[in-house]
Amino acid sequence: MSTSASGLVELTIDGNKVSVAAGTTVFDAARMQGIPIPTLCHQQNETPVGVCRMCVVDVNARVFTASCVRPVEAGMVVNTNSEKVQRARRTLVELLMADHPSPCTREQHSGDCELEAMARRDHLTRSRFAPHRTGRAKDSSSPSIAVDFDSCILCDRCVRGCGEIRNHFVLARMGKGTGAGIAFDDQRAMGESSCVSCGECMVSCPTGALTNKVFTHTALGVGPTYEPVPVEELRQLPFFRGVSGTFLSLNRGAVVRRQFKRGEIICREGEYGSTAFYILEGKARVSISNPMAHVKTKGVVKKFLGKLSSKLAQRQQDQRDEETYKRWIPIDAPVDLDYDSPVAELNPGDLFGEMTCMSLYPRSATVRAETDCTMLEMLRNVLDIMQRNKNFRAQLEKSYRQRALDSHLRAVPVFAELTDEFIGSLRENVELVRYSPGQVICRQGEPADSFYLIRIGFVKVTQTHLGGEMVMAYLSRSEYFGETGLLREDVRTATCTALDHVEVVRIGASDFKRMLAEFPQVRGKLEVVEQERMEMNRARLAVLQNVPLDDFLTQGLMEAQSLLLLDLTSCTRCDACVRACADAHDGVTRLVREGLRFDHYLVATSCRQCLDPLCMVGCPVGSIRRRNSLEVIIEDWCIGCGLCAENCPYGNINIHPFHVMVDDLTSPGHKKAMLKQKATSCDLCTEYAEPSCVYACPHDAAHRVDPRKFFAGLLKPAAATDKAP
Amino acid sequence: MRIDRTHRKWLAASLIVLGVATAVYLFYAAHSPAGSSGGSPIGLAFGMIGSSFMLFAGLLAARKKLPVWRLGRAQSWMRGHLWLGLLSLPMILFHGGFRFGGLLTSMLMILLIIVVASGLFGAALQHYMPNVMTAEVTKETIFEQIGHVREGMIAEADAIIATVTGSGNAEDLKTAAGSAAVETVALTEEAAMPLSRFYVREMRPFLQSNGTDNHALADAGTAHAVFVKLRTLLSPEAYDTVKKLEEICDEQRQLRRQARLHHWLHGWLMLHIPLSFALLLLGCVHAVMALRY
Repeated sequence: MSTSASGLVELTIDGNKVSVAAGTTVFDAARMQGIPIPTLCHQQNETPVGVCRMCVVDVNARVFTASCVRPVEAGMVVNTNSEKVQRARRTLVELLMADHPSPCTREQHSGDCELEAMARRDHLTRSRFAPHRTGRAKDSSSPSIAVDFDSCILCDRCVRGCGEIRNHFVLARMGKGTGAGIAFDDQRAMGESSCVSCGECMVSCPTGALTNKVFTHTALGVGPTYEPVPVEELRQLPFFRGVSGTFLSLNRGAVVRRQFKRGEIICREGEYGSTAFYILEGKARVSISNPMAHVKTKGVVKKFLGKLSSKLAQRQQDQRDEETYKRWIPIDAPVDLDYDSPVAELNPGDLFGEMTCMSLYPRSATVRAETDCTMLEMLRNVLDIMQRNKNFRAQLEKSYRQRALDSHLRAVPVFAELTDEFIGSLRENVELVRYSPGQVICRQGEPADSFYLIRIGFVKVTQTHLGGEMVMAYLSRSEYFGETGLLREDVRTATCTALDHVEVVRIGASDFKRMLAEFPQVRGKLEVVEQERMEMNRARLAVLQNVPLDDFLTQGLMEAQSLLLLDLTSCTRCDACVRACADAHDGVTRLVREGLRFDHYLVATSCRQCLDPLCMVGCPVGSIRRRNSLEVIIEDWCIGCGLCAENCPYGNINIHPFHVMVDDLTSPGHKKAMLKQKATSCDLCTEYAEPSCVYACPHDAAHRVDPRKFFAGLLKPAAATDKAP
Repeated sequence: MRIDRTHRKWLAASLIVLGVATAVYLFYAAHSPAGSSGGSPIGLAFGMIGSSFMLFAGLLAARKKLPVWRLGRAQSWMRGHLWLGLLSLPMILFHGGFRFGGLLTSMLMILLIIVVASGLFGAALQHYMPNVMTAEVTKETIFEQIGHVREGMIAEADAIIATVTGSGNAEDLKTAAGSAAVETVALTEEAAMPLSRFYVREMRPFLQSNGTDNHALADAGTAHAVFVKLRTLLSPEAYDTVKKLEEICDEQRQLRRQARLHHWLHGWLMLHIPLSFALLLLGCVHAVMALRY
């Protein structure tokens, strides 16, 4: 047993052979295998410090080791639950309990002190060790948080919560030996410190050292439909089990019970919101309004020399070349929607609206009560804390595995051929992992140990080269990454970073390899995709071989793949290009004959097909995307929220209202006309050999060009040494 | 459209057609006992060729109405319009034997000459004017938007003056000027008097004008002198404001220049297009009458 060429480390945990990436801690390696190790000071969202020692394991060394900080080693044999280990943990609990006033404030209020829960589990009613109090007793100077220094077990969770999570850096450790404790701003009283009462320390605290004084009340909404849920009742619900009672008490009102009558709309697509919904009872129907096909020109003349009439063509009439497979529309719910029938059912236990709640994206779909429904509507702070809650996570993961993994995997074309049996075998092995904005998911050069499928959020893919870091792609729901390193059994070729709140489905290297072995066609498709991605990357890197002029850089032309240029020395400003564009697109032009000048060319306001398409970031339904050819297109399921238009730095995306016929909800079986917003941008008139604007220019002034080739003469050739690796 | 080297093929083809037609006409005119006539087979052939050239040239308008239809690139149609339209004149002259004939045919000939001449004039304008506009109007905007841009400039200038004279505030200026907002320093009423007087009497009327009148600020050189003189009447802290106002005037001058150039670029069409339609219509009447009677 040793470290493999791919950087994986093989070890044995409780008799099970395990392969994990080098650098993984023993705690995480065990967790990946579903082996629980108790801990007090360690939280998934904080840097491990190994101070409580509750997570000790036996690695056949001279002494036990804290698994949360100990990296795995090749050939390591770990025993997490031997009699000796259990005895050591019991002693630790006894030592901690000796200094802990039992029952502490938290145990009295909400009965969820983690230390006392451990003591109960070990049947420890009294400690054999003499107590030693800090002597600092209590600090009640803060209007919102009560501090009981005697209950503090020096786990540092509050210190890391304050610093790492909230970046306030108010809390720190002071003193040493038996005089050690937490302190606010150099030993000030909490109420006099720079604490902003965010509550993170209180939520992080496993005991009653930091508890809520209940001085504020959050109100999600008012009125008869917003029914506040008492903390005691919330804690009875299975998915709230384990959530800090202090937190729930502080945030009473941030989660409400709502009743919806059959047919009632719960949320509408395109609306902005800040809450997520959890279905307690009943069923809901999630849908997006009738997919609007690509705007297409109708081939008839209305009247003599009249304008061509355009219309929103039927889906079948304008199928794109690459659409040879069944398409799914990603939405902010546990299910994807079938393109041809974009409707799905949500059941009790389903959570929807996570992206809206966590990242404030517009609602991606309309949800209507299919039966009388009872739901919990919650604010972001509640969802955030829920996502950290093991019970809730476990339930969410279970629900995902049972209901959504199948369709989610099959929504990815390369996985469409996986058998039910194989997906069934994956169910228990995949892991849902969350990442905060800015957090690195995998790093270039690290060993490839997992394959990732995005469930929620946006991921930025970058590569580091001599010239700096370069954005290679933005990925959203149902897109995947990490396959290159696994296919080549090599290290990661790029760094993937969460742009917002991201949740990925992590498939371990062993399962991934098993899939490749069992389904050679999947391997073939993945290799094709990998090849395409490598080609795209090479094309991007080739750009580095030119050192551009200042204007070329400042105008962002370097980032463009295709520019609409108007030669100002030929252009008579007749606007034939604009009219042609409008005629080709339902009377709505997608180019404006205005913009910055470069040399004697006008860079018209029209999609540039950027290499780094910021417009894609945030699309709640993933309707703005790239074709295999790097072309950026807006799919017909666009809900018209306008995020892409806001994100485009060049103002090249516009939102326009179109008349469409939709089902009349008040009169079943009938349709009614309504205005539907849709984002529009240049589609290069892909159904034609040449864009209409260029084709219709009578003066040979309009050109669609690759700027780097077109302006090659103006750009200085780079030295050979500038070539990227 | 620029008449450049890319037109060589069209030029060569046109010269060949013209050469052949001239040779045929000279041979025909020399050997025809009664002289050349539009009713003779050769004359009719010239008439039909000339008419078809005119018709093709006229179809450019229809082609422009169907920009999405793949009927050949608009650029090719334009080149055909230019060269075949030009060739139609000698063809019709050969058709009529260089005689204008009766009232209808005389009208037709005059119309044809005007149409071809106006076309040549327009081609020359569209060859040179885009260069001029590109060089002289660096702050060019969409022609139809000139009025809107002008309104924005007036609002910006008003806000600047209001801030300088103390009758407005920086927020208004920021709103009016957008990202181009300058750090405008408020002056005392007395110190700001020359500026506000200049603005009310000179600059604002200039900004409001549509370019038809002669104004001191309409000429770049005179305007520069005016602003130099204005600076001598103001304290140095107002110089940045004056500079900004000078830039606004410069933009207004450019917009006026753009409007003028635009009218030159497209104004000739007001003559060319209606006369072309009239020519085609009367040409049809002439053909029917000549063939029938």
